[in-house]
Amino acid sequence: MSRRRFLRGAGAAAGSAALTGIAGLPLAREASAADKPVEIVFMHVWGTPPGEKAASVQHPVAMLIDAFNAKNTGVTVRGDTPSGDYFTTLSKAQAQIAAGKPPALVSTPWSNINFAVQGLGVLPLEKLAGNELQQVLANYKPEVLPLVTLNKQTVGLPLAFSCPVMYYNNDIIKQAGVDPAQLFKDWGSFKTLGPKVRAVTGNPILGLGNNADWEAQSIIQCNGGRVLDDNARPAWDSPEAIAAMAMMADLNKAGLYLQSTTKESNAAFIGGSLAIWMASIASLGGLSKQVKFDLKTSPFPVFAGKPRKMSSGGSFLGCYARDKDQQRGAWEFLKFVASKEGTDIWMKTGYLNSTKYEVPLLPGQDAAYTQLKDGLTRESPWPGSRGAEIQKVWGTFVSRIWAGDIGAEEGCKQAKQQVQPLLPKT
Amino acid sequence: MAATFEERAPDARSDARDLLEPTGRRPRRAWTRYRLWETATPYLFVAPVLVVVGVFVYWPLIYSIYLSFFDWNFVAPVKEFVGFDNCLRLADDPRFHRALWGTLIYILALVPAQVLLPLGLALLLWPIRRSRAQAVYRATLFSPTVISFSVAALLWLWIFNPLQGILNKALFDFGFAKVNWLSNPNTAIWCVIVVSIWKTIGFNLLLYLAALEAVPNDYIEAASLDGATDWQLFRLIRFPLITPTFFFVLVTTIISVNDEVFGAINVMTDGGPFDRSSNIVYYLYEQGFRMFQIGSASAVSLLIFAGTAILTWVQFRFVERHVHYG
Repeated sequence: MSRRRFLRGAGAAAGSAALTGIAGLPLAREASAADKPVEIVFMHVWGTPPGEKAASVQHPVAMLIDAFNAKNTGVTVRGDTPSGDYFTTLSKAQAQIAAGKPPALVSTPWSNINFAVQGLGVLPLEKLAGNELQQVLANYKPEVLPLVTLNKQTVGLPLAFSCPVMYYNNDIIKQAGVDPAQLFKDWGSFKTLGPKVRAVTGNPILGLGNNADWEAQSIIQCNGGRVLDDNARPAWDSPEAIAAMAMMADLNKAGLYLQSTTKESNAAFIGGSLAIWMASIASLGGLSKQVKFDLKTSPFPVFAGKPRKMSSGGSFLGCYARDKDQQRGAWEFLKFVASKEGTDIWMKTGYLNSTKYEVPLLPGQDAAYTQLKDGLTRESPWPGSRGAEIQKVWGTFVSRIWAGDIGAEEGCKQAKQQVQPLLPKT
Repeated sequence: MAATFEERAPDARSDARDLLEPTGRRPRRAWTRYRLWETATPYLFVAPVLVVVGVFVYWPLIYSIYLSFFDWNFVAPVKEFVGFDNCLRLADDPRFHRALWGTLIYILALVPAQVLLPLGLALLLWPIRRSRAQAVYRATLFSPTVISFSVAALLWLWIFNPLQGILNKALFDFGFAKVNWLSNPNTAIWCVIVVSIWKTIGFNLLLYLAALEAVPNDYIEAASLDGATDWQLFRLIRFPLITPTFFFVLVTTIISVNDEVFGAINVMTDGGPFDRSSNIVYYLYEQGFRMFQIGSASAVSLLIFAGTAILTWVQFRFVERHVHYG
């Protein structure tokens, strides 16, 4: 240590001692650390990825960040969108964690909750927030909190809370002379009335907007089946699950289901060529600005005589910061996100309200709330370090079954066989 | 004019003579220093490049070999040593088998297309080399090369859209059924191939046009006077003289073909439907960056490295002998 640095340090220590008393010295240090300006990175999927054209309308997440930064709390949040895809974003976060420069906050998909804990070392909120946590979590609906709880620890803030719904082009449905309530009553009536809708456009009527395995989970659950059992082992070969998968294959055989990529079905729905699009309620905000027809939503059809049991989805805000200042900054931002002001901004997305605050619904959101009232389950938490591979294998088989490339029973059984080597050893 | 090496050499020797003592005996230390300097100088010049190549090429390669023996995700504190498990697991993975099959199809379809099609186009454009039309054709064919894949893919997604794409609309108007181009396991891979050809053809075309330009006109005129036909001119004069370019295009295409289709796969099909448009590079990407399996991805990267090295060696061993370097 140079003499100058020693004298400066000694002077500062003496000054602090004089002002706070020797006993108060640690407090003074803490206070100075808390006042230190800090910039944190919030990695998410809602911005503009590099190389892509920025959306004409600012996404609510950008408004959320701007509103927080405008408060000048000493913490500045910088949004970063390496990709619009959850997995790519998470892998970028993984690379940055490996490089020793972790983003403070990452929108982490529910389905990767195990990987976030075991693989990426997400910081439980109990360690991040201490005594303040219960006060913040008290603002959330009790049915939402189990979704972010793993091994009795809160792994993140439930931010993006969604479920799949049926978006439909009401102009086409009206033209077909079909009552939407009847069409979406159950899968049987959907199959009966579907051809009338098809006759209007001459095209298949139902397209897929997300990973097939996510929608499949809801459809299987609504028929009384499960994708994973309580021990996170595959349960998709039960008779109920197979019957649910066979129902979707039948829709394809009847010319009602559109085999396409999600990008294609999205473009076709926005363009008015596709009548119904099953996708996350999170798309509502964006869709309502893009379409030029009467956009409506409906809850998923059920299986006759069985209760609706849809899967939730989306992402939680996980903290990956290793540095104390970064963790402090992350918590400051999370508190804002969980506040009434933050919720008001965030709810412009179309996501479900996971808090207890009264926030006005967007037109069309009621379908998702109906499903929430019926009870949403956790999105399949794919087990072990190879969970993403299990999800991929199952998702591929779901697509194959729906497209008629393989029979429902054979597909479900083969999928179970194929994931055996990927399952964690018990 | 700069002095040639031969001209400079005596000076270098005289420098060495300056180190001799009047007795003509070279002091041992000075001599050693001189030899050291002489030996080290070239290495010092190439050292910066060696450092860069070492850090960015060879170190990652060596580290990949190391990582392929572990089950690790870059972040977990403990790397689990799994020996050759990552490689052995590939043998049982149906996704890997489909990716290998896709790789083979891409090579068989794209190598001839990217090597021969631009050659044919170059020969068609060659006779109009003095015309402005050639510049227009050249610019038209080359422009896809400089467009980013994300932009190009938007265009092609619109063309291939099953319900409102221009291709299906045209087919439908002519009485054909609509096709789910990117979702049909039999057509998706061919859509990727078409886009890849469209994207890369212009670059090889420019290389061939430059090579044809370099063929001495005297040979062509002499052969023409002797009554050679166009086909004979191409087969016996032009093609042999452009074989260095042809060989370069062949080698670089085989090396890069699977990397090049990655962009089209990623943006248009995500390897689907049912992994039928995937290839080994996309499989590597999925393993490393979507499945978070760095060890497994490293094992695949080594297979790609070995496969590419073998293919390149085969070409140099068996094809290069037919190349006329002039």
